[in-house]
Amino acid sequence: MELRVIDKESTELSIEIAGEDHTFMNVLKGALLELDTVQAATYDLNPEQSGGQTDPILTIKTDEAIDPLDVLGEAARNVQQKSENFRDAFQAAS
Amino acid sequence: MTENFEVQFIDRDERTARFLVRGVSPAFANGLRRAIIADVPTLSIDSVRIIENSSVMFDEQISLRLGLVPLTTPPNEFEEGDIVTLALDVEGPETAYSGDLRSDHELVEPADTNIPIIELKYPETADSPQRLELEADAVMGRGRDHAKNQGGVAVGYRHLQTVVVEDDADEYSDSEPEILRGVIEERAAEHAVATDGTGEPENGALVATETFDNDLSKRYPDKEVSVRDVDDAFVFHVESDGSMSVDELVTNAADSLAERATELEQAVQL
Repeated sequence: MELRVIDKESTELSIEIAGEDHTFMNVLKGALLELDTVQAATYDLNPEQSGGQTDPILTIKTDEAIDPLDVLGEAARNVQQKSENFRDAFQAAS
Repeated sequence: MTENFEVQFIDRDERTARFLVRGVSPAFANGLRRAIIADVPTLSIDSVRIIENSSVMFDEQISLRLGLVPLTTPPNEFEEGDIVTLALDVEGPETAYSGDLRSDHELVEPADTNIPIIELKYPETADSPQRLELEADAVMGRGRDHAKNQGGVAVGYRHLQTVVVEDDADEYSDSEPEILRGVIEERAAEHAVATDGTGEPENGALVATETFDNDLSKRYPDKEVSVRDVDDAFVFHVESDGSMSVDELVTNAADSLAERATELEQAVQL
């Protein structure tokens, strides 16, 4: 997973996340939108054959007081936590 | 975030399982489904060295068929890109089956032994029988690169649904079947009739619609009903191709999501 910051301002971030597809990006976007500090989050992903930009670009807008990179880190931590919680719940049931 | 998932199995056998997950967002449910299909690595034959092929099929056709044979993939034994070698040697008149493949690893074998590869003949006019001898390398790969590496087949989910009894049905109207597929959570037990093998209707019970022929008018006779989705509750249906158990598929998929999240978190901190 390689990150490339495309655009960064105090409350806005555009970042390319190389090697990922809808599987992870949509989960991540969902986790971002669950955070109260996030005003908007979306990602754009072009199909393989389109040529040009085929790695997803994630865009985040946050509230005034918080750095979008911190928010991204927090969302990633939440996804990790969720996946682990799910795995534990699944193993307990099976 | 303190999210609590609740998992409950509805039915399961050797290769398929159906389970309910509560407290899961649609985004996470879909991520999990996609990860089960495309991100859990399994072994599949990827390159073939033909020693003799006097069958009626080209080497390439045989190789394609070999690639599609599911191989058992023991847990925590291999990493992506690892190779296991298999061999096959069959002489006509006989059919070469997937079960004729011999591997150099004791835990790796064809998940099904009865998949025909090709029928070999011994034609009367020929001096020797048709023969197929080859060596093949199975590679640990992912479904996103090639469908032969998909461990999960027919993986999907539906919302858990519940039935609301609105009113009595019109007394003189024709009764029509009301078809619903999936699993319902019983919330109107007092109007329901017991259906095959599920015992007395009880509120909160999970009822698979097959038990009443997928027809709500059999479960709630003479009632007018409507169907609602239950929020954040999904019924997953997972079927494995035999390369690993459903449990391993699902836990590996959850782990792959967790791994990527960890990787992202570390990358962001740098």
